[in-house]
Amino acid sequence: MEFEDEIFNDGLSKAYYKHNDNGQYVLEKDAPWAEKVSVALIISSRRALLEEIRKEVLAGRKSPLCYYMEMRQLDPGMLAKAAGIATFRVKRHLRPEVFARLNPSVLDRYTKALRVTLEELKTVPNG
Amino acid sequence: MTAELAANGKPFVHHHGAHCETAVTSALFRYQGMDISEPMIFGIGSGIFFGHLPFLKMTNLPITAFRAKPGAVFRKAAKRMGVDFVVKTYRDPPKGMDELRQVLKSGQIVGLATNLYWLPYMSERHRWNFSGHNIIVLREIEGGFRVSDPTIGAPVDCTADGLEQARFVPGPLNPRGHMYYIKSIRPNPDLRQACINGMKDSCNAMLRIPLPLFGVRGIRFLARKVVKSPDKLGFQEACRQLAGTVRWVEETGTGGAGFRYMYAAFFHEAAELFGSNELADLSKEMTAIGDNWREFSVTAARIIKQRDKEGETFAKAGGLMLKCADREEAFFRKLQKVARKLKA
Repeated sequence: MEFEDEIFNDGLSKAYYKHNDNGQYVLEKDAPWAEKVSVALIISSRRALLEEIRKEVLAGRKSPLCYYMEMRQLDPGMLAKAAGIATFRVKRHLRPEVFARLNPSVLDRYTKALRVTLEELKTVPNG
Repeated sequence: MTAELAANGKPFVHHHGAHCETAVTSALFRYQGMDISEPMIFGIGSGIFFGHLPFLKMTNLPITAFRAKPGAVFRKAAKRMGVDFVVKTYRDPPKGMDELRQVLKSGQIVGLATNLYWLPYMSERHRWNFSGHNIIVLREIEGGFRVSDPTIGAPVDCTADGLEQARFVPGPLNPRGHMYYIKSIRPNPDLRQACINGMKDSCNAMLRIPLPLFGVRGIRFLARKVVKSPDKLGFQEACRQLAGTVRWVEETGTGGAGFRYMYAAFFHEAAELFGSNELADLSKEMTAIGDNWREFSVTAARIIKQRDKEGETFAKAGGLMLKCADREEAFFRKLQKVARKLKA
């Protein structure tokens, strides 16, 4: 099965208006092809980016915070507002050596904003 | 269509709708005993719009809105139909949840604005950080709520914890527990006057906003941007941006072609209501514009899939959008004249 059909086969189909031959507007459930293609592209690029970040975290070039931020589809500015921490500090915390020295109260704010546990926040899924 | 019971045992029929907010609004009206369709709400609430917001980004893609801002459709439709309604937001999440429970106990069904990413029953393709997704809560059940999300086929269960998170996302996307319900409706509303007001308002929104990002000017702005994008951003990134635009046109609960088909359906109903041939013609014209948008998204998808590289270019996609802009401008200018002549 192609990737497009795979992600659209989730049982949560939306409805689309269609103009039928009798001049009536009816709802149907088949997603247009263009939608499938573009959503598939966006999702696959998002997954690829997340995977790349995960590898960089494992290689020690980025902090796990970067991974969870991407997973929740946030950027540093949004995460900063959600956690109540200045944007420039959030950006610094994306560096692994800075992140490793953070004290528990700051980590606590991140866990609340990202809805992950403290143990999860310190590592990324391996494998 | 599935029959469900609300908190006080009154039956509620779940209808599958195209767009969350209009479908929720029409379901709230229907629950109060007034049968009104989703396109009708869309037209009366002046849902149609265009706005391109390059400086606001979601997952690095700019926002292109094909509808009025979240919350506006319900407010406008409810005001124009003269119903008694309540809209509330909260700072404190527990208080917001408590009030929701109280309102549910009083036998109302409640519309909520939620964040799509945090709704627990959504699948991956629906999940992205957008805080204007509307759902209806029917009643409280053990450990959660019975929820009717009109963009999907049947009512679902939602955990209380997940619903609270979706209603109160920390940060700039916070919908602040936006909650609304209808207390009572006027028995015989002036549907015709409401339609006329809705049409006039839409014309102003599409034609008279003096900024290049909104209305038909906005479509032209985006079209020029699409044409230039492969040179500026490189093919890969330009494709991603284009895919983002197509998602705004076709996905995000538009009912196809950036709400244009739904708007055509509104004119189809309005033509019957007024008995006007001009409105029926406008309905056909809007369907044609919708087909044009659909053509744009198919072209975009072919670019992304790299089929027929010579024929399907960014210039062609931009050209199709410019054509949409021209046709829409003509459409709304004609609508202005027609709406002025209509008698309430």
